[in-house]
Amino acid sequence: MSKDFIQSAGLKLVILAVLFVALPLLLVSLDKGYIYQVVMLALIFSLLAVSLQLVTGIAGLLHLGHAAFYGVGAYIAALAGADYGIGFTLGLPLAGLGAAAIAFVVALPTMRLVSIYFAVATLGIGQMIFLVLQNWVEVTKGPNGVSLFSGIDLFGYTVDSELGIYFVVATIVCISIWVIHRLSHSYYGNALRSLREDDQCADAMGINTVRLKIESFMISSFFAGIAGALWAYTTGYISPVDFDFAESILILAMVVVGGLGSIPGAIIGALLLILLPEALRGVGDMRNIIVGFVLFFSILFLPKGLFGEVPALNFIRRQMGAAWQDNPDKQKVGWK
Amino acid sequence: MSAMLEVADVSRRFGGLMAVDGVTTSVGEGELVGLIGPNGAGKTTLFNLISGFTPVSSGEIRYRGEKISGLKPSVIASRGISRTFQNLRVFPNMTVFDNVSVGAVGAIGQSPWQAIRSGSKRAKEISERSWEALEKVQLTRYANELAANLAYGKRKYLEIGRALAMKPDLLVLDEPAAGLNDSETAELAAFIKELHAGGLTVMLVEHDMGLVMSICERIVVLASGRKIADAEPAVVRQTREVLEAYLGVDE
Amino acid sequence: MIDPYYLQQLTIGISLGMVYALMAIGFTLIFGVLNVVNFAHGEVYTIGAFAGIMAIAAFGPPFLVIVFIVLAVGALAGFGLERLAFRPFRRFSDEASLKSRAMREATLMSSLAMSIIAREAMELLFGSEFQTIDISYLINKPIELGPVTIVNGDIIIFVVSVLMLGGLQWLLKYSSIGLSIRAVSNNPLGAKYVGINTDRTIVLTFVIGSMMGALAGILVGLYYGAVFPSMGFIPGVKAFVAMVMGGLSSIPGAVIAALVLGVAESMSTTFVSSVWADMVAYLFLIVTLVFFPQGLFGARRERV
Repeated sequence: MSKDFIQSAGLKLVILAVLFVALPLLLVSLDKGYIYQVVMLALIFSLLAVSLQLVTGIAGLLHLGHAAFYGVGAYIAALAGADYGIGFTLGLPLAGLGAAAIAFVVALPTMRLVSIYFAVATLGIGQMIFLVLQNWVEVTKGPNGVSLFSGIDLFGYTVDSELGIYFVVATIVCISIWVIHRLSHSYYGNALRSLREDDQCADAMGINTVRLKIESFMISSFFAGIAGALWAYTTGYISPVDFDFAESILILAMVVVGGLGSIPGAIIGALLLILLPEALRGVGDMRNIIVGFVLFFSILFLPKGLFGEVPALNFIRRQMGAAWQDNPDKQKVGWK
Repeated sequence: MSAMLEVADVSRRFGGLMAVDGVTTSVGEGELVGLIGPNGAGKTTLFNLISGFTPVSSGEIRYRGEKISGLKPSVIASRGISRTFQNLRVFPNMTVFDNVSVGAVGAIGQSPWQAIRSGSKRAKEISERSWEALEKVQLTRYANELAANLAYGKRKYLEIGRALAMKPDLLVLDEPAAGLNDSETAELAAFIKELHAGGLTVMLVEHDMGLVMSICERIVVLASGRKIADAEPAVVRQTREVLEAYLGVDE
Repeated sequence: MIDPYYLQQLTIGISLGMVYALMAIGFTLIFGVLNVVNFAHGEVYTIGAFAGIMAIAAFGPPFLVIVFIVLAVGALAGFGLERLAFRPFRRFSDEASLKSRAMREATLMSSLAMSIIAREAMELLFGSEFQTIDISYLINKPIELGPVTIVNGDIIIFVVSVLMLGGLQWLLKYSSIGLSIRAVSNNPLGAKYVGINTDRTIVLTFVIGSMMGALAGILVGLYYGAVFPSMGFIPGVKAFVAMVMGGLSSIPGAVIAALVLGVAESMSTTFVSSVWADMVAYLFLIVTLVFFPQGLFGARRERV
């Protein structure tokens, strides 16, 4: 028991130490704006991939419009900041809630669709949101995008150094991923998995399937909105093309490459698909074609992903101390 | 014996076909009732009507005096009726324990807030109840195995275990013995009897008469969607219509 | 008397609709035999357009020769696509895995990956901007018909599409290839048991569907004079919408739905700015999926 506790606490500490001590030190010593951008992008896309994992990998709803909800969050935060003087402290939750509210509206009619029909419906919804961002010029400023010059205000303090923004982004991404980790690695998560496996059968088990689908879609969109707000504040400029279909596919590819259903897999997928194209930057702007190849080969040769659901759940249960083991056999099963 | 489940003049039409045609029957508290009939008699349809998977065309189904026909399957399940499926429907990519926990979480419930809070009382309750159900079906040693990797016979027990984790008052088994050999069927019969002895009301559909005749206290016989007999096994065995339905004897 | 403006829009709408129909048929045929969505269909359309303008640039052949070149390239693209993105996932040929959700979603994503690779490769080769096309090949020469002015492209698109649609109907009804395609759509396993080579039939379906898609690409390319690597995405989505509206496996349904979609879109520009015209297709899609899960014309057998 104590050994497990130390082990799981140790792993968590290592992750936190890397994020909040080692990486910042490295960033300061390198002192390059470009590296900050890449690291920030990796953090934000980790959150996007993890939030998509909840709805696509765990609840089994193939979602082809995730980037649109990311865009909604980014626009809410940016427009609130630029046009209405609403700062980060209030803009961040507004971005999440706005994305979740839109998710709720579109989820009501579409949640009864299954499999590829749901996928295509989300593609349509994503495109509709994209068209609105692109063409509702009076509000969104259309293809010109929105510039946001204000720094991050945190309850009165203004954070505008790159390092400061890094700490804010890393903290919020960590908390958000932790929340999704708790949701997925719990009996609530098991109920979501049962929807993916056989939603009619889940219904017979007393699971309110429609409600659960809507909930997971809203939670996922909430965090996509949060990621959008973080993106708006880190780059200071957003435009509709940041949130188009290709971006949705990029996030989906991260989830698939990492392993459907696996939260750590989604993070690995996000890191891979952000860092690999950056590493190959010398060859030219190959990001999308790399995404295409990685997606194709992983579906073909690694259908369960780099860190598939089964090993990932075992890892979380054993190494992260999330299992229930208060049974006569002392087996690590279920969730705490 | 008070009637727990009442089926009152229930019909279900599929296009021009009356799959279930004006069936009236009931299940009393603590009974072990069998539902038999030849292929296409409407047994599974009647089951689907009871569990809410198929809406009734006419008539009414009541559970403990309250109308349940027209409710969603999940609502009916949470009232205390849990079912298994004819064609094994376990969740293949989830572990045995996680499969069973879906039944428990369906009955107990866990909101997103409760899920986020680590080590909550509710999670403990679900864990304990799932373990208990696994013990009942003797699958604890496979707890961390994927359901897909389980042998066919074991998966049957897993499905029953998942239903038991809901702590139902009425357990509805759809052809539990399908695909099992004789010794497995006998084992299953003993297990169902044991569940019944523990106070559970059980209703089971069987295509094959053997299992039903040996364990059920009362048997309802369907043929072409109509009820043709509703009596003790010994009486049913003598009923002329039943013999005709099964053997195709002419007048 | 009807305002000539509406007649004008109607003509444009029918031309658009015909192009969507050509693409939608590719989707519908493939969905019929495999029950999967071919996400790379839009790129076949782009490849068709590029093949056509490359032929024009290289040796300036007559129009009919271009059509045949494009058809050949389309056939090749369809063949390659099936080999790379679909066949590897048909490891098992029992009914359950042929129609399983895992197979459908895997091929949806593999064809999506193929479409990204094809589009990006074209961007790397040709750049993302409009390609230059020899003006004499464009099919936008105005023709006055009383108060209405149409272009020769409207007539060409109409004639070519009708010929292709007619040819396809003939092929499906009277040829042995058509018979095997219909058999596999109805029951892949049954077809296999009676000795139909299902793999060959599936390839042929991709070939035929892709020929039509590629032809639609060059027609639109020459009609608008706009050929660029990402041109296939939006028509692809619209053709898909037409397939869903038509009831998934009904070719006449898909054609009618495509025409309805094309006309609705061109008429909508009367009321709203043309940048919103794409919204019409997405609205049709959502409304159809939610309120008419059977499609507008056909009866669908499965759960949507």
